[in-house]
Order: sequence, then C-alpha cells, then structure tokens
Amino acid sequence: MLGFGGEREAVSKVGLTATDLADARRREPAAVTRIYTAYAPALYRFFMAAVSDRHLAEDLTGTAFVSAIEALPRFRGPIGALGGWLFQIARHDLYDYRRKQARSRIEPLEDNLNEAALADGGVDPEELAIERLEGTRVLTALRELSSDQREVLLLRMAGELTAPEVADILGKTTGAVKALQHRGLASLARVLGLRSPQESQERPYPSPDPGRLTSQEEDGEDA
Amino acid sequence: MPRPKPNKLHDELDALLDGRPVELTDELAPLVEAADALRAELAALQLDPAVADRHLERVLQGSATVVQLPPRRQANGWDLRRRVAAVALAAALVLAPATMASAAALPGQAMYPFKLAIEQLRIASVQWSPSREAGERTRVADERLDEVQDLIELKMFNQLPNALTALGKAVVAAQVAVQEAAQEGEPVPGVAARLSLVKSVGGQVVQRAVVVAATGSVKLPDGTREAITAAATQTQSVLPPPVQSPSAATPTPTTSAGPAVPGPDPTSAPPPPASTPETTEAPPPPTTSTTPPTTDPPTTEAPTTESTATPGSAGGGDSGGAERTPAEDVPPPTLEVPAP
Repeated sequence: MLGFGGEREAVSKVGLTATDLADARRREPAAVTRIYTAYAPALYRFFMAAVSDRHLAEDLTGTAFVSAIEALPRFRGPIGALGGWLFQIARHDLYDYRRKQARSRIEPLEDNLNEAALADGGVDPEELAIERLEGTRVLTALRELSSDQREVLLLRMAGELTAPEVADILGKTTGAVKALQHRGLASLARVLGLRSPQESQERPYPSPDPGRLTSQEEDGEDA
Repeated sequence: MPRPKPNKLHDELDALLDGRPVELTDELAPLVEAADALRAELAALQLDPAVADRHLERVLQGSATVVQLPPRRQANGWDLRRRVAAVALAAALVLAPATMASAAALPGQAMYPFKLAIEQLRIASVQWSPSREAGERTRVADERLDEVQDLIELKMFNQLPNALTALGKAVVAAQVAVQEAAQEGEPVPGVAARLSLVKSVGGQVVQRAVVVAATGSVKLPDGTREAITAAATQTQSVLPPPVQSPSAATPTPTTSAGPAVPGPDPTSAPPPPASTPETTEAPPPPTTSTTPPTTDPPTTEAPTTESTATPGSAGGGDSGGAERTPAEDVPPPTLEVPAP
C-alpha cells in the first residue's frame, strides 16, 4: 500500500497499517473490526489460559478491547507496537480482576463449582470440573510454573509477541525474558514428562530450579 | 559481581520459538516440544463468533458510521450468516425510532437515505432464511411502488425517474429471491402472490408515468419529461403495461396466456409450484387452479400499520385503473422483523 509521497506504508505482522490505526482512532467500524479481528483471538487465548473460565475470558477480552479502543487516541506508537500496547492493557485488566477476586470473599471450590453449575443450567458440578480440565493438560501444567515464567510464556505463545515486546510489557530486559522463557519451558517439559534423547533416566530433566539450567552456561560466558 | 553475558541457549531457544533457522539440539528439543504442545492447546481456544459480535457492538455503540454490510450471497457458511444477521438485527433494533420516522419518507427527502439503510439492514437480518428474504424483498418492492404512486400524486416529478428505476430493480430482486426460495425447498406462495400483485399494479403505475410524461397537461422542468420516459421505458421491461385497457380497473397479469384474473385480490393467486419459479411472474389461469386459493399472507410477514396510509393516499385519487388493493386484501408493509 502506498502512502503519501509514494512511500510504502508500514504493515504490522498482523496485517494492519497506520491508516487502520488512524481510522480506528476515529472509531470507523471497518478499522475497529480489523483491529479486533487481528488481536481478539490472541487476547482471548491469553485470558483463557490465565483464568481457565470461558465466560470470564470472554468478558475480559471484551473489556480489554473496549478499554483499548477508548484509549487508542492516546496511543502514539507505530502500528507495529499496537500488539504490545494491547497486551499491556490486557495484563492490567487481568491484574485488576485478580485484585478484586482477592478482596472478595474466599469461597470453597465446591461452592464455586455449585454456583457455576447452576449458572450453566444445572450441570453436575463434578462434570463441570472435569469439563474445565479436559483438553487442557498443558495449560494445567502451566500452573506449576512461577508466575513470571507463566506470564512470559503466555505473552509469547498466546499473545504471539516477540521477546523484546514481552520485555517492554513486563519492564524487563530482553535477556531476562529469554531466561524466564527458557526456565519456564524447561519446567513445563519436566511436568509434561518430556525428556531429551541424551537425558539419563535417573536424572530428572530439566530442573525447575531456575538457576540450575543457566548457571553453568552463564558462568562460562561471563567475562 | 560480573554481569552475565546473554545466554546462547536462551537465544537459540528464542530463535527456535520464532521460527528462525537454528539447529535444534537435543537439549532444546524437549523445550521446543513443550512450547509446541502449549501452542497447540492455545490454538484450540477459539472465541465464539457471537461473542465477538457483542464485543464489536459494544465498541461501535458510539460510532456514527453505519456498519457496511457484506454483499448478499457472499456469506459462506452458517456462522457468517448468523453473525451478519445478529449485527444487522442489533443495528435495526437500535435504529427503531429512526425507522419509524423514516418509514414514510419519499425520494429526495432528508430521511429517505435512512429508510433505504434500514431496509438493507432488515434484508440482511433475514438472509439466513430464503423464504423470509423473499418476503422482505417483496415488501421492499411494494414500498418502491408506493413511492412511485405518491410521487405522481404529489407531483414530485423530478424524483420520478430514479424512483421508477428503483422500482424495477426492487421487483427483479424480489423475483429472484422468490425463485431462490422455491429452489431451496421453501416455496412462498403467499409472497409470490403478493409479488404478482405488485407487478400487476406496477405495470399500470409505470404506464401512468409514461402517460404523464407524454401528455402536455403537466408542466415539467426541462429534461424531466425525457428522463421519466426513459426510466419508465426501461422499467417496463420488468413491469410491462397492462394488456387490458386501464379503464377496466382490474389489473391483469403480465403474461396473457390465459383469461384475465382479478389481479388485486391475492386470494385468487394460487401458490406457484416450487419447481417452476417462472410462474411467480403471473398466477396461472383460473382453469388450472386446482390448488386451494391462498388466503393467508405469508408467514414471514406480520401485519402492521406502518404504511397503511400510503397505499390509500396513493391509490385514492388515481385514475386509469392504478388503484391499489384495499389494505385488508394485501398485507401492508411491515416494520417488524419476522419472528424466526
């Protein structure tokens, strides 16, 4: 697409242009729809992996997107930075939700399941619990990771963001994000029972200990 | 304490995750495998299209721009149809007050574009059902006919050329929709009868426009007379003039294969066979009407009071046999979206 002066207009990795951004700031339906189509599935996956509840993830996705579109006139970055900015909002919304949850009354899991079952039309709570866990073996395994590792992996995998973009969102260095990503995946592989061909049967691989995976290599590379 | 250098393994893993060409070592293989498993599970989490519609609706609520609807028949699959229908229905509900205000608008008036937009939304909202779509498009054709009649009555001749062209297009669209409904196993005899009536009366109204333009009794601006004649002639390819003399006051079918049937009475128009859509153009002659007469309006149309005044006012002072059918005979145009 050619812009003014015959220059090729920058296209983001999800196929959006600066024109889309400008139009969406004016709430033009076509542009808003394009941005939604580009990012809403990733936002939903991010929330779904974080909260494990479809309806809640849908609500959080909608809320984050509405907040983003309302705040879009204040977004000054290039179109390529829009994804990272959207996930900053999503992460903020997720934290906000969790804060509210923490403040609310702590209810036993059984009560929650009964309540959810009633809301779902009288489904058996046991069935509901099983249903929520079905097909989410890896997502369930994610809970074994530290919150930092989990967040990095979700932003990388669900948000389809690069390590530098994740670093910007989390306020960390790219190196720190890569390290967290490495340790997180190592822990995930261990929880899932994945082994490298050379891994001896007696030694569990890899260790969830963040220091253990990297200490030797880092030590060796240190100046 | 020395600052650690960037870790080569971290970089290699990051490159592998981004799909950059890096050798996959045994050490990294399980990590990549875990990442792939995570990606696969995440990919299975799909946002419900209906939920996506609601989100977009929330975002666009404050927007003044009308949502551009996709062209008809480009919708592939039930989901897309359902989404279009949901968005269109929601917009139609939001715009209901404006719908009321624009219902009686005529071409050239400020609210007329709004009226057309509402019609487009309503058609989109029923596209999931061929029979309902046929009903809606027939209603639109009837509305275009009312407008032409009103323009003649109100002597708004400068708008007449465009109105005549729009009438012809609306009748063709309705005819196609009725045929498609029949082909898809949803015959709409009531709608076909109503369309037949619209065509019958329309032929007379267009002929009247031709007469208005041809006679010097009405003073018309420069070029308007020629424009009316041209538009009317073009429209007559769809709505041919009645075979009988207009003084007979009984509109005849557009085909003259059989004896004249009392056109304005939809109860005399038997349902056309589903396999022969062409029969929607004219009801068969009475000698072959072994099927029971259709006495009910199509199920897709709800009776309403939207424009009961329009046909009456349009047909009241009409001459030349272009009188419209009484409201009790023809279901008046409806404002309500047919119930599913």
